[in-house]
Amino acid sequence: MTDQTTEVPDDGTIPSFSRAPVGAMLGVVAACLSSVGTLWIGGLMALVVADVLGRNFLNAPITGVSEIAGRSVVAIVFLQVSAAVLQKRLTRADFLLRAIGGGNPRGAHVLECAFALTGAVVFALVLWASWPKTWEALATGEFFGVQGVFTIPTFPFRLITVVGAGLASLCSLYRAACEIRALKGGGV
Amino acid sequence: QQTITINIGSSHPEQNIWVYAMKNTFQPEVNRILAEKGEYTVDWNEAYAGTLYKFTDTREAVMDGIVDVGMVGTVWEGANMPLQNVTYFTPFATSDHKMIIEIFDDLSANLPELRDSWAENNMVHLSSLITDSYDIYATFPVNTMADLQNRKLNAPGTSANWLRETGATPVDGALTTYYTNIQTGVTEGTLSFASGILPTRVYEVAPELTRVGIGSMYFGGIAANKDFFDGLPEPVQVAFRDAAKATSTAHGDYVADLAARAMTEMQAAGLTVHELPAEEKTKWVTGLPNIIEPWLEQTGDAGKTVLKAYFDALRAHGATPLRNWDEGL
Amino acid sequence: MTTLTLGFILIGVLILLVLLGMQIAYALFIVAFSGIWLIRDNLGLSFKMLELTAYSGIDDYLFATIPLFVLMGLLVSVSNVGRDTFEVAEELLRRMLCGLGVATVAANTVFAAVTGVSIASAAVFTRVAVPEMTRHGYRPAFSAGTVAGSSVLGMLIPPSLLLIIYGVLAEVSIGGMFLAGIVPGLLLALGFVAMLMGVTLLFPGFVFADPEAARERRVAVDVRGMSATTMFAKITPILLLVFLVLGGLYSGYFTPTEAGGIGAFGALLIALGRRSLNRGKLWQVMKQTGTISVSILLLLIAAGFYSRMLAIAGLPNAIGDLVRSGGFSPLGFLFCHAVIILLMGMILDSTSILLIMVPIAAPIAQGLGIDLSHFGIVTVLAVEIGLLTPPFGISVFTVHNTLNDPDVSVEQIFAATMPFILVMVAILVLVALVPWTVTVFL
Ligand code: NA
Ligand code: NA
Repeated sequence: MTDQTTEVPDDGTIPSFSRAPVGAMLGVVAACLSSVGTLWIGGLMALVVADVLGRNFLNAPITGVSEIAGRSVVAIVFLQVSAAVLQKRLTRADFLLRAIGGGNPRGAHVLECAFALTGAVVFALVLWASWPKTWEALATGEFFGVQGVFTIPTFPFRLITVVGAGLASLCSLYRAACEIRALKGGGV
Repeated sequence: QQTITINIGSSHPEQNIWVYAMKNTFQPEVNRILAEKGEYTVDWNEAYAGTLYKFTDTREAVMDGIVDVGMVGTVWEGANMPLQNVTYFTPFATSDHKMIIEIFDDLSANLPELRDSWAENNMVHLSSLITDSYDIYATFPVNTMADLQNRKLNAPGTSANWLRETGATPVDGALTTYYTNIQTGVTEGTLSFASGILPTRVYEVAPELTRVGIGSMYFGGIAANKDFFDGLPEPVQVAFRDAAKATSTAHGDYVADLAARAMTEMQAAGLTVHELPAEEKTKWVTGLPNIIEPWLEQTGDAGKTVLKAYFDALRAHGATPLRNWDEGL
Repeated sequence: MTTLTLGFILIGVLILLVLLGMQIAYALFIVAFSGIWLIRDNLGLSFKMLELTAYSGIDDYLFATIPLFVLMGLLVSVSNVGRDTFEVAEELLRRMLCGLGVATVAANTVFAAVTGVSIASAAVFTRVAVPEMTRHGYRPAFSAGTVAGSSVLGMLIPPSLLLIIYGVLAEVSIGGMFLAGIVPGLLLALGFVAMLMGVTLLFPGFVFADPEAARERRVAVDVRGMSATTMFAKITPILLLVFLVLGGLYSGYFTPTEAGGIGAFGALLIALGRRSLNRGKLWQVMKQTGTISVSILLLLIAAGFYSRMLAIAGLPNAIGDLVRSGGFSPLGFLFCHAVIILLMGMILDSTSILLIMVPIAAPIAQGLGIDLSHFGIVTVLAVEIGLLTPPFGISVFTVHNTLNDPDVSVEQIFAATMPFILVMVAILVLVALVPWTVTVFL
């Protein structure tokens, strides 16, 4: 899975703006979202620990921990998925692809490009599918939790899905463009 | 003869109290009624037990037509269908679950606010779903309200409201967490109902049942997707309506049987049953703050109408709610 | 064409895409999306199912265990607790045949008690054990295979994500499933040890790059010894953590998610206490947790979408009918079930197999009088074999990704895990035939 011709290094560092402006911009935005997701994992741990301690020692359980934790899991995924796309960290079985790449690098680039485009389509579909409900949630003030006990609006969570999927789609497109450039340049 | 394909489904398995009558009464009844005339047959496409969606998505599944007919838990739809949750904000109304079924079958069809709320969510309400009455299953008996002081009880969702000003701390949870929560002292009991407690064996760790009669609750409904229902031939719509009536009866009977069987089996397994004295129950009821307030704020005039209609119906059915939550409307 | 035929064709397309090297999540998403569209002839339905799955497919307290247990595993690893465990095992088992392989299994067994996902074990021990084994003359691919193979212990020895998911699906007590997993987990560990020693004896070329050097090193007397005090100091933190997590789980004091949170926090304290964590390193660990978690969780969303497509195609029901009409004996059913899972395990991830199979199979099993805990362990064992089988073996991928060594290819690691798969099949048969192995603690 090493591909020297792409501007985004596989270790996930962001390419310089002068060399690859689009890649740099996408990389920075993805890294920012991903950092929020990373912090959120820490927050999740703190929330669970606080609930356990509060419930057992302070007689003060935190209400809604399980719902909040459930929603957090989804948020974390969509915050981090773009960075995972850019860093090519999504799980796959690439043995055949590498075998093809050994004999026919152009073929491998074509396949990679097709896969990246599939990714762009998949995330665009998620974006398209989630779009109406997101704004509906904002308009109706949709919340989760229980009236009078605790309520949290769902709009920010739905927005994370939309933004995350949208950015992931762009990142996939960028990856496809990288593959095409590699194909044209004949770079191996 | 014309064949109609109907997708029917639920987030819960077929044995579940809210799904049982769909599979065992609604479907066969529709078949039977249509077979009498011989004009139509139904090809049922079943997706029970959450194969298509989870319990959090029961409304969206029917609304969006993922299934044509489904169990909709309005109890999980506090944001989109708050009106249906009126019973959870008005505890101590009635323990007669069959009465709740009758009332909500009627109101969901005839009270504009409730009927429209189903229609706004692109659904047609067919048959009401309920729980049997809530009581306290705990490690200790509750003889006076003082016994609840500084106790920790599992009380998920809206039921947390029922413990306000009682001195007990509500702890979140679900039927599946009560057993270990109580066993390990995380909590000392739970607010729940017999038909739910029996299969989860919570009575093993909480052997003292105090019958309080917090009341039977409206849980949701069996509903059809509105576009789908409106597109059905008239005889099939009629068959649906008639089958739905039979389903309501069957659901009430099933819950009654299950609750009775649960009490027998749990007592045989060592459950001790106590009764909360009437004067203590009165203390609890009058001591509760006005928990309907946030619900009324959220639902506005429609909420007022539903609350009033519900309480009028309760009284018309001969129930005496221990607190007149509709006072001052 | 019947929807059933279409369903099987779609599975074929999925296999093809996965084999070609498409990201598994993309393949699952796109096949499921087109599948729903084709089967119901309704594009809108595809979008609605996609929306539901993306928004709430993994919206569950239980799924929070994944980042939490991964975080705990990585913190334990960065604080060198994993390495210490491995070193103590190495010291104790140095003289054994294939000592480092056995030490990997032993350390994995202990580590399994503080992690719920095999991925975490695989990631940790790739870093700890593979370099050490390679340094001592073991073939890198064999070392990687050993780590991948023994990582399956992470999901059989409780706490375990798969046991949690099974418990949810079959409506069996999760605590009970954890108790049920103990004996089969230990049997599996012992089986791995026996297999490693046998293979080393019979096919040293499979194990070592330089068999002679390794043998000399094993019998050499001048290797530094580790004092009992040092060993105790090295092993105490993980034992504390095991006590905290397993104790909390077994007593029922913690839910699995709470055990994950508390465990991660405990691991954080240990790492801080050992001064092995500065701010930069902590950030690295957290980022890594995110990277590992997101790929699993995205797969879970995609798999959920895909299994819903299969349900729409009526595949689970059709298989259920087939079984019911087949007139199976309980044991016959159990074995058919296991074989189907093994086949699914080649192409699907563990969670989706459970999501697809358990709702169909558990009621049938119960009807045939099979104990559901017993059924669950057989199921999870069969599912775990899928972690190691090509073309889609996520434990192997994790080891490969973590190792990031261009000289060790995925297929080499797959080949090295073959003996582990055989042991697992043997234990699977044993557990299926002897329900006592599961129910002894229940
Ligand atoms: Na484990
Ligand atoms: Na596999």
